[in-house]
Amino acid sequence: MKPSVETHNLTVIYDKKPAIWNIDFTLPTGKIIGIMGPNGSGKSTLLKAIMGIIEPNIGYSKVFDQDLEDVRNKVSYVPQRQSVDWDFPASVWDVVAMGRYATKGLFKRLTKEDHRMIEESLSKVNMTPFTNRQISQLSGGQQQRVFLARALAQNADLYLMDEPFVGVDAATEQAIITLLKSMRDAGKTLLVVHHDLLTAQDYFEHMVLLNSRLVAEGPTSEVFTKDILTETYGGTLTTLSKVANVLQEKDFPMRHK
Amino acid sequence: MIDFWIILTASLVATTTAILGCFLIMRKMAMIGDAISHAVLPGIVIAYYISHSRASLPILVGAAASGMVVTYLIQFFNQKVKLQQDASIGISYTFLFAIGIILISLFSGNVDLDQDCVLYGEIAYVPLDHMSIAGHYAGPRQVWILGSTLIIILTSVIIAYRKLVLTTFDPAFASAMGISVVLWQYYLMAGVSLTTVVSFESVGAVLVIAFLSGPAATAFLLTKDFKKMIYLAVGFGISASILGYYTAVWLAGSIAGAIATVIGLQFAIAFIYIQFVRKAHISQTLENKALTEV
Repeated sequence: MKPSVETHNLTVIYDKKPAIWNIDFTLPTGKIIGIMGPNGSGKSTLLKAIMGIIEPNIGYSKVFDQDLEDVRNKVSYVPQRQSVDWDFPASVWDVVAMGRYATKGLFKRLTKEDHRMIEESLSKVNMTPFTNRQISQLSGGQQQRVFLARALAQNADLYLMDEPFVGVDAATEQAIITLLKSMRDAGKTLLVVHHDLLTAQDYFEHMVLLNSRLVAEGPTSEVFTKDILTETYGGTLTTLSKVANVLQEKDFPMRHK
Repeated sequence: MIDFWIILTASLVATTTAILGCFLIMRKMAMIGDAISHAVLPGIVIAYYISHSRASLPILVGAAASGMVVTYLIQFFNQKVKLQQDASIGISYTFLFAIGIILISLFSGNVDLDQDCVLYGEIAYVPLDHMSIAGHYAGPRQVWILGSTLIIILTSVIIAYRKLVLTTFDPAFASAMGISVVLWQYYLMAGVSLTTVVSFESVGAVLVIAFLSGPAATAFLLTKDFKKMIYLAVGFGISASILGYYTAVWLAGSIAGAIATVIGLQFAIAFIYIQFVRKAHISQTLENKALTEV
């Protein structure tokens, strides 16, 4: 099977301090893959480096065994929700439509097929009733759904999502994970930056554990262990005690109330 | 006829700047017009020094060149040095403006050049400098220059509209899609540079800045649709030109000053209006809620 994403010695340095250091991995396709690590461990930087938004200082990455430039229309990126100004005068439809025309030339118009994809994407995230709503009037969870709809409209094979579960209500979180699973079942690969250790085991089959350098990468059952998590999260006590709790309950899968 | 030419001149500037202003305020760069209109000074002085004339073209080229330099500096300080946008704008344009002043003082002994004659246009004089085609009166020269600028800017914005909106709203996503955010930033800034330079020659720097930020800000208050925001901003710009001109005639005062004042008043009225609408909306909602609860 072709790898989805591979990185070789990927290093990004901000102000002489490495944000990510010598990251080397090869990820499988068709899985929901979590990128976990403490704050400032370079999770977002890793995604941005893979997407070419940040030029790595050393190293390179490949997507589906090719340069990103050649497979750009098969890859979709979902930025952090807070990274844009939601007061921008646009409707839900306008934002989702960006997913269709982002890779079109200057003079190409949206076709019937484009319109169908936009509508279908909106209905997959249950946002159809809000199609004409101004984006400034959306809740956090709805904003996240709009971003996901925009990504769906791109009909990519690989999705890179930066913290899609931050600041959304429990119902939206469930709706999103259900959606991600159905995308996975349709053969898509999802690379998701996440920081909640409590839900990580339920959400991801495969994990990348990051603390500027790569701590571990592999199937969740192999890498989500006390030793590796301690190494990843270092001495942050509160997090560690949470980890201990999670590990104790390991044999009893977490259920959401 | 003089009335007509002055209002037309102001309206042409208003239209061009309002279109660009909508993009600028959404990029939190409204003050870039202020920066460019000052930073062009060294370019103008150097162009004058080289060409030894005050003809429009060399001056325009010099001005546009230093306009791009300040754009580059702002971009550089903001992106590479990680300085805040406003600080980047402040440090870049004051530096270039200061160089311009030093250059002027160096040459001032033997050169007929001072800031007033290059920097600050006076709209009332526009009809005096007219053109003739084949011996026929063809209107003021500035109207032709500003008209061409409007056509250039309008075409450029229409062609690149989606890229400009996308890179304004979500640069990270645009960049992930392989769209060069920096390229479109320069594309927009080249437009702002050109517009600022040709406009302040005829209407003065302060009015250009007022036109770049005011109508777009007023329109932003009133609509949540970016295209409508552009149309509204153009409408506010043109109506401010007309109202401002007649206010100035009535008060026998400065035309640019009166137009800029009307722009400010438009914003104030729009602000009060939306406060009123919001209050009405809230009390309406509360009333509906009370009714359904009963």
